[in-house]
Amino acid sequence: MTPGEAATAAGGQDAALLDAQGVGKRFGAVVALSDGRLRVEAGEIHALLGANGCGKSTLCKVIAGTVAPDSGTIAVGGDVVQFRNPRDAEQAGIALFYQELSLIPQLSVAANIGLGREPRTGLGFVDRRRLNSEAEALIALFAGVAGAELKPEAIVADLTPDLRQIVEILKVLARRPRLIILDEATAALDGRQSARLFEILRARKAEGVSTLMISHRLDEVFAVSDRITVMRGGATVAQLVTAGTNRDQVVRHMVGDARIHPVTSQRMPPALAEPRLTAQGVRNARVHDVSLSLRPGEIVGLGGLQGQGQSALLQGLFGALPFTAGRVTIAGETVALTRTADAIRRGLAYVSGDRGRDAALTGRSIFENLVAALLVREKRRLVRPSELDPLATRHADSLNTQYAGLDAPIGTLSGGNQQKIFIARWLATGPRVLLLDDPTKGIDLAAKGDLLAIMRKLADEGASILIYSSEDAELIEWCDRVLVFNSGRIVTELAGPTLDHFHLARAAYGEAA
Amino acid sequence: MTLRSGLTNPLTLAAIAILALLAVGETLSPGFARGDQIVRLLTVAAILGIVAAGQNLVILGGREGIDLSVGPMISLGAVIAGNIMAGANAAILPAILAATAVTFLIGIVNGLGVTLVRIPPLVMTLGMTAIVQGGLVVYSQGIPSGNAAPALMAFINRPLVLGLPGILFVWAIIAVGLTFLLRRTAFGYAVYAIGANERAAMLVGLPVNRIRCLLYGLSGFFAGLTGVCVIGYTGNSFISVGDQYVLSSIIAVVIGGTSLAGGAGGYIGTVLGAVALVLLQSVLTTLQLENYGRQIIFGMTLLVLMLLYGRQGRLRV
Ligand SMILES: Nc1ncnc2c1ncn2[C@@H]1O[C@H](COP(=O)(O)OP(=O)(O)OP(=O)(O)O)[C@@H](O)[C@H]1O
Ligand SMILES: [Mg+2]
Repeated sequence: MTPGEAATAAGGQDAALLDAQGVGKRFGAVVALSDGRLRVEAGEIHALLGANGCGKSTLCKVIAGTVAPDSGTIAVGGDVVQFRNPRDAEQAGIALFYQELSLIPQLSVAANIGLGREPRTGLGFVDRRRLNSEAEALIALFAGVAGAELKPEAIVADLTPDLRQIVEILKVLARRPRLIILDEATAALDGRQSARLFEILRARKAEGVSTLMISHRLDEVFAVSDRITVMRGGATVAQLVTAGTNRDQVVRHMVGDARIHPVTSQRMPPALAEPRLTAQGVRNARVHDVSLSLRPGEIVGLGGLQGQGQSALLQGLFGALPFTAGRVTIAGETVALTRTADAIRRGLAYVSGDRGRDAALTGRSIFENLVAALLVREKRRLVRPSELDPLATRHADSLNTQYAGLDAPIGTLSGGNQQKIFIARWLATGPRVLLLDDPTKGIDLAAKGDLLAIMRKLADEGASILIYSSEDAELIEWCDRVLVFNSGRIVTELAGPTLDHFHLARAAYGEAA
Repeated sequence: MTLRSGLTNPLTLAAIAILALLAVGETLSPGFARGDQIVRLLTVAAILGIVAAGQNLVILGGREGIDLSVGPMISLGAVIAGNIMAGANAAILPAILAATAVTFLIGIVNGLGVTLVRIPPLVMTLGMTAIVQGGLVVYSQGIPSGNAAPALMAFINRPLVLGLPGILFVWAIIAVGLTFLLRRTAFGYAVYAIGANERAAMLVGLPVNRIRCLLYGLSGFFAGLTGVCVIGYTGNSFISVGDQYVLSSIIAVVIGGTSLAGGAGGYIGTVLGAVALVLLQSVLTTLQLENYGRQIIFGMTLLVLMLLYGRQGRLRV
């Protein structure tokens, strides 16, 4: 009999796999958690929902021993536990997928997956062969949906965001936990990759393993979860059975009295003006002969499976991954885009979804993070914070970012709120061409609504927007037309009646084969 | 600021260390903390502080930024300045210009090696150390000729205004100027940005390589200026006069709370760090510790500091 079963017998009632009660945590003056409550049963998939900054990640870190709570109790299998570090939690069978990833970029995929529990040879050295073969077996779980670059020997820093996210998932699975905690594990995954992850989780569930998943994608929550816990403002406000509730109810619990922007699908069709941006036959490492044209006021989507050149095209247009061939014009003028500063001064902006790598000025203040691009765009020499503060505040507030003050380090923000700052960084430059590379990664429903409203307003004022999203729904709802990518080429253009899930999926897979 | 965050704040820690060392010094040898003694110590700290300014910039810029070649660059600056001055007051300005221009260019070469050729800074500046040292022997034939002009020596060793030597005012101007540069100019913001996340800095349009080159150039410049100060302090120079500043400039920066990982810290901390380090050196001298004993203590100080600051590692961005 395990200690857990003993406690159950003694208590005379069912002990949950995990039972957290009244968990509180403050960071300085910020109350991250006031009353976190969560009960996860054995063999279930449980969703933890709530707006950005409501305390989801903090609660997970408390459960996984990364953050020490100020108050509250955690019981695993009926036993009250006090984890002093992640290792303690791991020994109790709990492993956490970190929202901001916990990978060491310079190390290989296999080394990351096996980190801290490497197999040894007889002499005590790391047994590389076994390390690699174990990683190989785990990678096979994602066979067919992950790029071929995902190999045991690949260096993590060289991987695309979705593959890095998969490595973090494998790192969690490798620990064979009883409770898998996934803090926005699907944020950078495309539909197929997410579907595969859920297959894996369902198989684990059949073996009695539970999953706690955080997601801002309600579709997947309703598709795979058994029960739902909703948090708001640091406290748990609802514990629901998925089959007995619906989206509206859940959203109402999430936002409380606050209102979400109603997202209307009606929009004025863009005026038939001269194109603002054209590309003819452009190529770089991942883009092979792409041509497109973008008019003022247009919102154009880039569709297709993950990593088919969408991101490389956006970075190429921005001068971050210069094209090796082809021609780009902006407002009729041929331009050589080899430096990001030139692109910025021509009114281009690039929002990356991979904030840890591409956006976060680690350890610097929210203010510095927000004005970074503005300083370049306006060629400023002197920085007067008092002069820029109102502008920074306005742009942060336009997405309802939650922060204590502009001087706080960026890392004190929740994941979604950080992403809002990085979007605000570019909105502050007054862009004429907005290049969005999976920009909604980690931001909540309300903020997605805000972002869409801002995008439409910019478009109505004549900006052109090119957006890649790993979420098809966003492309369908947000874009005037969508260019579907496969292997670095545009294979189809969808618009009007053909712009729906079915056609998007068919174009992405069907014509790929 | 809570008590706890106050105690882990490097600036507060450095200030406490300074007061503690003064108290210890005064106990060991009454008169240690007398006014003229303190001015003497501050003068030594100023010389260290000027070379540490360049070291500070290079470290802030990140990507394992460090400049090991400040030692020979200081020696070179001192030798060049001595040769040009040859004891004549009229030649002070040309001497300063020549010394700093040469070391600035050497620094730029360091920067080009680090950015364009992507040589790790440790290796690049170590290689440069050997090159400059060798060049110095050839240039001076082992025994540098020339000496400081009397006015320069007075500027550094004699009271100028308010009983303080001129070099302290120069140091104050550098401290104010550098702090302004780092906190109130786009260039300063760019330095922190490339130190914090080079790729993100590139994506917001910053010329990362150009800035990093310039940081190494500035480190050279400050090393050359330090060389001028060193010869002004002692009157003449020898070809390894700068060697002692390599480790101590790095320690001063680290005491001051600048992260060796880059992207965090500032020059005010380094100023306090330089003062604390010079005080420590002086207390150790009072204890009549031999030179190797001092080296051991210095090395240990660096490691203990790394341990202390390293523990505040960040898990989040
Ligand atoms: N290290 C920290 N220092 C200061 N404040 C913090 C820290 N970590 C979290 N917080 C604050 O605690 C609150 C909850 O953050 P948490 O990361 O748990 O939110 P979340 O629900 O995961 O949000 P998201 O959906 O954006 O990821 C936020 O207001 C955040 O600013
Ligand atoms: Mg979170």
